[in-house]
Amino acid sequence: MFGLIGHSTSFDDARRKAMELGYDHIAEGDMDVWCSAPPQLVEHVEVVSAVGKSIEGAYIDSCFVPEMLSRFKTARRKVLNAMELAQKKGINITALGGFTSIIFENFNLLQHQHVRRTTLNWERFTTGNTHTAWVICRQLEINAPLIGIDLKKARVAVVGATGDIGSAVCRWLCERTDVAELLLVARQQQPLLDLQRSLGGGKILTLSEALPQADAVVWVASMPRTLEIDSSKLRNPCLMIDGGYPKNLDTKFSGSGVHVLKGGIVQFFNDIGWNMMQLAEMENPHREMFACFAEAMLLEFENCHTNFSWGRNNITLEKMDFIGEASKRHGFSTLNLKSKIQAAAA
Amino acid sequence: MPTLESQEVALLDRLDGSNAELPDFTSEVYKDAYSRINAIVIEGEQEAHDNYMSIGTMLPEEAEELKKLGRMELKHMRGFTACGKNLGVAPDMPFAKEFFAPLHGNFQKAMAEGKLTTCFLIQAILIEAFAISAYHVYIRVADPFAKKITEGVVQDEYLHLNYGQEWLKANLATAKEELIAANKVNLPLIRSMLDQVANDASVLHMDREELMEEFMIAYQDSLTEIGLDNREIARMALAAVV
Repeated sequence: MFGLIGHSTSFDDARRKAMELGYDHIAEGDMDVWCSAPPQLVEHVEVVSAVGKSIEGAYIDSCFVPEMLSRFKTARRKVLNAMELAQKKGINITALGGFTSIIFENFNLLQHQHVRRTTLNWERFTTGNTHTAWVICRQLEINAPLIGIDLKKARVAVVGATGDIGSAVCRWLCERTDVAELLLVARQQQPLLDLQRSLGGGKILTLSEALPQADAVVWVASMPRTLEIDSSKLRNPCLMIDGGYPKNLDTKFSGSGVHVLKGGIVQFFNDIGWNMMQLAEMENPHREMFACFAEAMLLEFENCHTNFSWGRNNITLEKMDFIGEASKRHGFSTLNLKSKIQAAAA
Repeated sequence: MPTLESQEVALLDRLDGSNAELPDFTSEVYKDAYSRINAIVIEGEQEAHDNYMSIGTMLPEEAEELKKLGRMELKHMRGFTACGKNLGVAPDMPFAKEFFAPLHGNFQKAMAEGKLTTCFLIQAILIEAFAISAYHVYIRVADPFAKKITEGVVQDEYLHLNYGQEWLKANLATAKEELIAANKVNLPLIRSMLDQVANDASVLHMDREELMEEFMIAYQDSLTEIGLDNREIARMALAAVV
């Protein structure tokens, strides 16, 4: 069985969803109630892959909401409790979705392996970042030409280049594509220098330096709330792949020539009979999902019960190849601009 | 050359999630709060002993097993008494008696009316879940002596929870209605007990929020084990909120 740990995108949304699902006790509760609410196994689902393999899964809502980010003890408990529930339910491989993996990494939850009577078995969890990185790279390769960008002549900026996903994307772009120039953007200088050395190239720039030069921008860091960007200074055309969490880039950029694509999202070839992706506000919730969630499904399809994506900067090109092949074989495809335009026209 | 200043991510970076510092176990303010918390725990274990013995009179074929559980509770009581002594604290027993009075009264009333389901709900579900959750939180911030004692107690307490669960599970078809009704009356008492103790608990570095969450986890697990579904549990848990 595969598992997905997710959460609502806001407190208001969480309460509305809880009411719909019949969880009246928390739906009617205030923030204090939500901070004390246990994780919930919301839904079981069966999924059949394109090659006919059938697997079962479960969706766990951690009852975390982004408003809890400033309460780090609460956030830490939400993640650990949800992971404990996944393990108690005997789930083989569970993806940490949304803020879950970010909290796990930044609060260094590796040191909290014991949750009540349960010793968390890290092998049962994956951040899903390998699949996310592969999907983002493919989205760039597929969609840039669609809007007239020739990657061989293009400058591609990676914002959040030194993170787990960002560094994997940089490695892929250097090794597997003919991108003309890679622009590396991140908050800290030393990791950037280390990355540049390991890549054997790439140009380190600030965000404001990089944006006007970039034909494509891969965002894998959270978008600064206060950031204002003058769209007229961007290249035309410009492809923006929003691979961060939450996905809010489309509210920042508008105007002709700027194409914003939700990054790290995949589509399944068939409808899945679940309601869980409505919680994640997918446009086509019976088919679309975060690539990190899909990674847990892929690992279950492949009987590969291991923490495939774990820790920071462990994503190799070989692992991206493995998960990418599995992704295609079992019926996933990347979310692309073309399908978005078609959907809008329909 | 920092370029990204996302408020949320910057915040995440500052907090490394390291363990909270332990309280000063020798301070007067700690000892004062401990005198009430320790008394509640001692009284709770005594109540548990008495309750299991009472249930035994209603279930003669189970009396031996229940007696065993009751004896275990007395062992816990002695352990927690030693924890108070170790810190040089005299437990405030009159406070604890009053603290348990409403729940104690409801248990006695159910006993008198022969309502076994209600008795099991109060003792084996609510009190045990309350105890287990409080002990889990306490273990994280207890002095070394009390930590060791409490860890041993928690292992035993799960046995009791299981015992009550098994009985309710086996009798769910006939017990459900009474279970839900009894829960509606008694779960709010647990919530108000938690509120009463919140200030003292916070002196011991036990967060009210965390206590409540731990309780809800134990309570939810227990009801799931008995055979109730998510919606039924949600409806029952509502009594803790409104």
